[in-house]
Amino acid sequence: MKEPKTSPEQQVAVAPRSNLRNDPAPSVSNVVITHEDIDRAHDRELVSATRARRGFRPRLRLFWLLIGPGILVMLGENDGPSMLSYAATGARFGIGFFLPFVVLTFLMACVVQEMTVRLGAATHRGHAELIFDRFGPFWGWFSMIDLMVGNFLTLVTEFIAIRAGLGFFGVPPWIAVLGALLVLSVALMTHRYWTWERIILGAAMFNLVFVPVALLSHPHWEAVNRSLLTWRPLPGGITQETVLVLLADIGATVTPWMLFFQQSAIADKGLTTRDIRFGRVDTVLGAALATVAALATMLATAPLFLHHMSTANFEAAEFAQALQPFIGHWGAALFALGIFEAGMVAAITISTSSAYAFGEVARRPHSLNLPFRQGRSFYLVLLFEAAAAAGLVLIPGIPLVYIVLLVNVIAVLAMPPALLFLYMLVNDREIMGDLISPLWANVLALGVVIVLIGAGLLFGISVIAPNALALVGGR
Amino acid sequence: MEKQFDSEPAENVTREELTSVMTALEPDQIISTKDHHHCPRRQLTRTEMILFWALRIYLVFMVGVVVYQIWTGVR
Repeated sequence: MKEPKTSPEQQVAVAPRSNLRNDPAPSVSNVVITHEDIDRAHDRELVSATRARRGFRPRLRLFWLLIGPGILVMLGENDGPSMLSYAATGARFGIGFFLPFVVLTFLMACVVQEMTVRLGAATHRGHAELIFDRFGPFWGWFSMIDLMVGNFLTLVTEFIAIRAGLGFFGVPPWIAVLGALLVLSVALMTHRYWTWERIILGAAMFNLVFVPVALLSHPHWEAVNRSLLTWRPLPGGITQETVLVLLADIGATVTPWMLFFQQSAIADKGLTTRDIRFGRVDTVLGAALATVAALATMLATAPLFLHHMSTANFEAAEFAQALQPFIGHWGAALFALGIFEAGMVAAITISTSSAYAFGEVARRPHSLNLPFRQGRSFYLVLLFEAAAAAGLVLIPGIPLVYIVLLVNVIAVLAMPPALLFLYMLVNDREIMGDLISPLWANVLALGVVIVLIGAGLLFGISVIAPNALALVGGR
Repeated sequence: MEKQFDSEPAENVTREELTSVMTALEPDQIISTKDHHHCPRRQLTRTEMILFWALRIYLVFMVGVVVYQIWTGVR
């Protein structure tokens, strides 16, 4: 039986527990309960009750309750342009150099995303909100512009992937794009972070469809092992083309939207400092799954490299068609479905990351726990950005291949400034307390920044003065 | 202080829900109390400012390189 109702404006005399490091215990005299608070509290109660129980099954259940943002962000980043980059890599350069290289890029992603786990759990705030609060609107707007431009371009490429993936089955572009927008809208109708997260997690697992596709291509396992254990040299040396592919593969694993999405999702899910260990496991598990899918995609298209097929201007549907003689019709169909799924899941996560950031900056309600009426601006930004990107893909004659190329490169170039904000925030004792990065984490993070800047500069040299590549052993 | 996150109050909140929110959430997780836990703005040091500007210039320059590559590619 329900207790007697209280008015929403009821004053609450209970002082909540404080976890703050930069504030004394809050003097809360007038707490207004929102729909978002009630849903989040319900999720936290489940976590607390499960944590209190002992044994293997409760631990497993706790793991199930707390995972999500890490797997979603990693599999979300295995998006349309990323899978196309991996496919192009396998088809144009084989696996010798690039299998271990992609493993390395996912290790870099783990280093970066672990910082967002700590930041989100310690501050309960989204990334954009923290940047605005700590560094002010001047630098905040710079980071927002980077994010919004990058997200919009990436969204365009997700719809390119959706269109190309379904194109293999003869679905007309406008039906593919409208259908994807409908799926995106339906996923939002849950008005519940937990339900949304589970639905998208289920869809994201479909990313592993590239594993059976790889098996159908009968990989040469000895060559795979040799590649992973000895790291073969870059085929053809450092050229303009290989630099571009290197950059595209880095951009396929570490991008600014991932920082914003995972931290906001952790705040929305309500994770606290006690959950950081699970957040790390979630991130590493996500990276492992995404690595498997990425490597499988390269293995799947490696037969095109072995048969010297030119794939320079391939899109998803062309890849699937070209692979058909090697992996059969079902294999090709799975490949095309995988590209569609990659675009679909990423379209949802990336548009959500934009909506979170907009809400945090505009001080508007921003949570997937909100009913549409209360989170109108959040949902409208999300849908509007997705619809605009979808509309662009339908313009006839637009150079889709160039846009795909552009997006991964821009993602890599935008990472160093985004990482500087993250690095400074995660080392800010005033907001992080004892959870600031240890020395080893800072060394790794700086290593990632140096690799990204180095890759960017190498790209710049390859475009402006291609002959200068000879100075770094290229041609 | 600037009002943050003007979320609408939930309708017909039960006492159970109220207790649940107050006990299960940490103080800065409750939307209406976020004002109390505002992260103050920090002053950037000279070195930090130089780093911020250097990376901003790097980004603008590299985007120019991408645009140049597209332009030459289209031609």
